[in-house]
Amino acid sequence: MKAEKDPSRFAAVCLEIRDLWFTYGDGQDVLNGISLSIAEGDFVAVIGQNGSGKTTLAKHFLGLLRPTKGEILLHGERIRDRSVGELARQVGYVFQNPDHQIFGTTTWEEIAFGPRNLGLSAEEVERRTVDALERFDLSSEATKPPAMLSFGQRRKVSLAAVYAMDPHVLILDEPTNGLDGRGEKEAMELARTLNNTGKTIILVTHRIRLVAEYARSCILLAGGRVSAYGDTRSVFEQDDLLKSSNIELPQVWELGRQLAPRGFLQPALSVGDFCQTYGELLKQTGFRNAGAR
Amino acid sequence: MTTAVVIQDLRYAYPNGAETHEASWVLRGVDMVVDEGEFLSIVGPTGSGKSTLCLALNGVVPNTTGGRMRGDVSVFGVNTKKHPVAALAKLVGVVFQDPETQLFNMDAEAEVAFGLETMGMPSEEIGERVDWALALMGLREMRDRSPLQLSGGEKQRLAIASVLAMTPKVLVLDEPTNNLDPQGKRDLFTALWDLRQSLGLTVIMVEQETEFVAEFSDRVALMRDGHLEIVGPPATVLGDVERMREIGVAIPQVTEVAYCLNRDFGLGLAFTRFGEALLSLEAKLHES
Amino acid sequence: MLADFFMRGDSWLHKTDPRVKVLSVGLTLAAALILQNLLMMVILWLLVLAVPFAARAPRGRIRFVLSALVPVSVLMPLVWIVFYPIGVETISFWFIEVKLLSLVQGLTVVLRIHIVSFAVFALLFSTDQTTLVRGLVKLRLPYVWGLVLSLALRYIPTFERSFADILQAQKARGLEFESMRGWRRVRALMPVFVPTVISLFRLSEQIGIALEARGFGAEGVRRTYFRDITFRTLDWLYIAIVVTAVGSLFYFNLKYGFGADPLRLVR
Repeated sequence: MKAEKDPSRFAAVCLEIRDLWFTYGDGQDVLNGISLSIAEGDFVAVIGQNGSGKTTLAKHFLGLLRPTKGEILLHGERIRDRSVGELARQVGYVFQNPDHQIFGTTTWEEIAFGPRNLGLSAEEVERRTVDALERFDLSSEATKPPAMLSFGQRRKVSLAAVYAMDPHVLILDEPTNGLDGRGEKEAMELARTLNNTGKTIILVTHRIRLVAEYARSCILLAGGRVSAYGDTRSVFEQDDLLKSSNIELPQVWELGRQLAPRGFLQPALSVGDFCQTYGELLKQTGFRNAGAR
Repeated sequence: MTTAVVIQDLRYAYPNGAETHEASWVLRGVDMVVDEGEFLSIVGPTGSGKSTLCLALNGVVPNTTGGRMRGDVSVFGVNTKKHPVAALAKLVGVVFQDPETQLFNMDAEAEVAFGLETMGMPSEEIGERVDWALALMGLREMRDRSPLQLSGGEKQRLAIASVLAMTPKVLVLDEPTNNLDPQGKRDLFTALWDLRQSLGLTVIMVEQETEFVAEFSDRVALMRDGHLEIVGPPATVLGDVERMREIGVAIPQVTEVAYCLNRDFGLGLAFTRFGEALLSLEAKLHES
Repeated sequence: MLADFFMRGDSWLHKTDPRVKVLSVGLTLAAALILQNLLMMVILWLLVLAVPFAARAPRGRIRFVLSALVPVSVLMPLVWIVFYPIGVETISFWFIEVKLLSLVQGLTVVLRIHIVSFAVFALLFSTDQTTLVRGLVKLRLPYVWGLVLSLALRYIPTFERSFADILQAQKARGLEFESMRGWRRVRALMPVFVPTVISLFRLSEQIGIALEARGFGAEGVRRTYFRDITFRTLDWLYIAIVVTAVGSLFYFNLKYGFGADPLRLVR
């Protein structure tokens, strides 16, 4: 998968954070002066150790938390005086634990909840619910109580429920936690598809492999501050910062770096990239058996 | 080599309406032998029965959960169907995914002491054992702390300490690194490995993190649909990329690289760990 | 919440056996109920208040309890004066004439509330939950009840956190409830209550399994206690003092009407 960098696509700023400071009443969970901007249509990962402020920052984007100091602008307008309900039209937040959302008697009701809260017409609510059920492959569970579904399906339900509100920005907080290999891939491909339709995706995660394979941009938080921020590759290259945040880079990246003395030019973000680069390197060093078998 | 665990044709179905909504068999004929002191990892897609298997090792399945069970599970010769869970707890310690529900005392010291109190151990001996267990898991300074004040990694270590205090011979862990950050995951795997080395503990661990599994396990058991697909060294099990992909379990990235390179360039690579991968790849470049 | 009242410390009160404290609270409550005399109530109030002070309870906490009691302290006498005017004597405040007896009774009720609050506060701030439950179990509360009580106390903060998270998750889906009141508000909050209750069930099921995995429920095994509590000489002394004091009070009250009259010491 080629890293798609099309600067002109990202000229517009989606979210702008200006000197954001935040403390909980008891001094816990602090953000210390964060300034950055997230481009329209970008796929951004927010990484950092536990306690670095990832989730705290993300919750500010739809007003679940309010800054102690500083401003946040969504599409150029301050979100300060706008309620969570209002912001939820544009910014969707998928929580880490799907069981913290699920309450409906049927999956249908669960998904329709969000659109109904937005005050949409009955037809529109129905249209969106059907669309969400189909997109997340949940149509056959529509009449079942979501609390009875398997964890992987509950995860999909919570995603579908937020998707149905058709937000422009989608924040995913550890969306693959508890999913197996296949489930993780499905979830991330869905995120990519949504990104391709123009939605801005903000992924808060520990899974560095996912960051490498899916995120165009990356924000590294440490101690409530922005430690590094930019396109994924350039953030990964700052390994001293990542190391001090106890972040282990993906195996393919490390392989690429360690093979640099042998001529491996640029560390790879994905398996495919790695193999391609390695293959070329092999050809260059005149490996004769290439192609045999 | 002593045998720690023997599982013979284990089949199990939860009673109607519990765990799975259908009354179908969650375990469908599992056969497995685990040696004493072995570090065995169990991998598999969700719904393959891994958690149920963990619960079968200490008798919660079937003694607490009810349902129907066929076949046998024996730990050091003790059959789980014939002994109450409380008795098996001295032999098999189980650590679950969510530390929150396993740390039900007010502070670390009370937590570690709990199992011993329940066993009826004399008070003076409890003191020594608590000191030992806390030190073992690096938690001496956290003695008076409430579980609410501990980090994710510390919570899991405390859960392990409170189980280890009862000196079981087998330690079973069900996805213990799920809520930990990458450093926490590594620390936990390392701690378990050290325990195996220093105490001769048999470690059976259900995990999704196949990269760590490859690095630390002696053998890997792959489960699918309630039975054991294959058991063997990490290289054999995790190295079978097509099977892993078909079943839907994540593969260590380096193994994917080997597969890719073999497919595209006909190289005969086989590795599941980072160290071996680097050496092999360097060697191949040299070979020209 | 209950869980938050305990403050670590080394005072004489902290070291006192919880059974002594629990019994003292009970006896103090009995004394407060039987006394009617205002002066005696004031003395009892001062005595009870002196306990946390003497045990070096953080002033901030004491102030907190006092300030929480302010509304009732002001309201109660007013309610009494207005709704239960009894007796003959009156007392004047500027241009308002109130029945003395009503005022005195109102004040007595306030003092009673204060006494109970501070007695319980003294108990809770100086006793950690484990020790408290241990004390209750030794006072013949069945162990399992004690365990249930401990678990409840332990998981209250967890619940608060879950509830807060769920509330946020549903707000993020556009849940509105702030503008509503009363029953409508409760109904609007169902998307918050339901997942909370579900998580309660899940939690208790998992705790049950964890307890079993720790050997709980073994038959024929007598449980031992690591941090056990034993009566020291001082504890016997304390309980002797309290029992004697309250016992005498009861005796003199029942026999001679001591402290029974709101205004006069002896009937």
